[in-house]
Amino acid sequence: MNSLKVLLRCQRNNVYIKRAATTKKKMHDPNEEEQLPIFQYPVSKSSDRRLYVWGLAETGALGIHSPLGKHRGSKSYKNDFKFAWHPMRSSFCERFDVIQIACGYGFTVAAIKTKEQHKVFGTGINTDSQIGYHAPRMGHPLEMLLSPAPIYIPYKSLETKITGLAAGRAHTLVLTDNEGVFTLGNNAYGQCGRKINKTEEYRGSMHSHNIKKLAAEKIIDVCAGQDHSLFITESGKVYSCGWGADGQTGLGNFDNQGPPGLVKGDITSEKIVKVASTVDCVLALSDKGELFGWGNSEYGQIPVTSKQQQVNMSYALINFTKGIGKIVDIAAGGSFCLICNEQGDVFVWGFGLLGLGPTVHHTANLKQIPPALFGRNEFNPESMVEKVSCGIGHLAAITNNGDLYTWGRNRHGCLGLGNNKDQHFPLKVGIGAYVLNAKCSVDHTVAICKPFV
Amino acid sequence: MCKLQLSLAIIKPHAVKNPVALSYIRNVIKNKFVVVKTKRVTLDQETAGNFYIEHEEKFFFNRLVTFMSSGYIDLHVLGHRNAIQLWRTMLGPTKVFKAQFEDPYSLRGMFGLSDTRNVAHGSDSIASAEREIKFFFPDFSFYEWHTNTEQLYRKGPIIFNKHLFQHVRKL
Repeated sequence: MNSLKVLLRCQRNNVYIKRAATTKKKMHDPNEEEQLPIFQYPVSKSSDRRLYVWGLAETGALGIHSPLGKHRGSKSYKNDFKFAWHPMRSSFCERFDVIQIACGYGFTVAAIKTKEQHKVFGTGINTDSQIGYHAPRMGHPLEMLLSPAPIYIPYKSLETKITGLAAGRAHTLVLTDNEGVFTLGNNAYGQCGRKINKTEEYRGSMHSHNIKKLAAEKIIDVCAGQDHSLFITESGKVYSCGWGADGQTGLGNFDNQGPPGLVKGDITSEKIVKVASTVDCVLALSDKGELFGWGNSEYGQIPVTSKQQQVNMSYALINFTKGIGKIVDIAAGGSFCLICNEQGDVFVWGFGLLGLGPTVHHTANLKQIPPALFGRNEFNPESMVEKVSCGIGHLAAITNNGDLYTWGRNRHGCLGLGNNKDQHFPLKVGIGAYVLNAKCSVDHTVAICKPFV
Repeated sequence: MCKLQLSLAIIKPHAVKNPVALSYIRNVIKNKFVVVKTKRVTLDQETAGNFYIEHEEKFFFNRLVTFMSSGYIDLHVLGHRNAIQLWRTMLGPTKVFKAQFEDPYSLRGMFGLSDTRNVAHGSDSIASAEREIKFFFPDFSFYEWHTNTEQLYRKGPIIFNKHLFQHVRKL
């Protein structure tokens, strides 16, 4: 017992000595502040962009390839990276200056600012060579790319710049500033703008087609539906090619179209500035802010008086959109359409989860989504929606504050809200940057953003 | 004892071209059904038109025929006690835009793109299943099936051959 007491006393002494050593006060040096090094934290340039991607990662369309882990048992789900429920920052954009981007069915293409040969990169499904020929072994082309790879396109000059990109179900359109449009991928309906060859094999094809000019005019914009393509020329004319079974080519017939033809109907006398199409329904916007449409109308997307389900010529929808003022942006989804006007109000019509309430809606008339849902309130009366875009079942809107709102069908997590539930009303996506543009596809979404600082 | 029923499943061109969708669908098929025959074909418009002759009057006939002749399609003859009904419930409602809300985890709700690009076709009755199997597999003998092979596929021994993608007799 005595020995134990001695031991304890010894320990106490030790503790006392230690404490005395640590409680010695440090004198504050008045010049310390000046001696500290100054850090200049990096401030982004105005041209810096960030790319955020989310949705189905299994196809490789996000370009984020996480190598397989070695988790066993209950953590084994970490081995496969299938979905990105939240926006993920893509490292591709940190290495290159991305200027254009397009999302197709399970693949993504991006154009970068460079004066070298490889200006366009692609990632994702490549079963129809829509993102070029990539073969690590001769004669064994890859059907799926998990991280971005350069696409070979035979440019005449390396000074050529990419000014537009569009991607459909299995084809890609690359618009250049003075060499016209290059098309890659599936041409079973003529969506690449060349003659249809019934026995052509698209897997492992190295073919790319060049459309230099349309009727001696320069092409200034491209747009791709699932299986058709649309081109706008300098004078505002619209040309189309591809699948016409729903009238989505607008050529007055229901046939497949190889070389692009001029869209007929009401838009021939107008100057078109934008066309939008995701599946089989097409909307066009004129320079006066008026709306035109053609294509599939099974759910009343193109409300013409004759109640056609397949509209094969363009119709003016001026009476339909009367009273909402000048339209600034349009988007056409699978079974619905989405537009926004100069005041920043968003309107929808058609069928689906349109953001009008918890049930699946079918509306034949324009319905406005309450602006409060896009952040316009007493404290923030200036907030307005500037851009809209659509996937097949999901919708997105971007406000002038750089906020992205998504809603609709949450297929494979394409809304980026952190869950797999359908979203009934617009909800802000958590992105740590100023969103400039969002591209929606079937099951993934990509946003080009500007850093806050 | 319940005899096996046959149904024809056609995986449509857009799903065949998507490796993720195709592997999911194939997994479902091989785990739920006995796969009796498998074939990959391309149709021309005339054959596709003959196959869908019952829809000739409908407005979507041209759309359906041009779509079906736009690429490879996979044909599977499926065997199950309740093959026709089971395959159709797994597919979900025909119209994809409605299926994605009514039955989001059906094959059409997950991988369908539009009302025509609706992942797969399934026979709707015993009579149409027989007609469709005869259409694509002219040398498939229903007499032979009912008398001999049906028992083999019901009682075994069979094994799944992943190269042929069908069940075969286990030697």
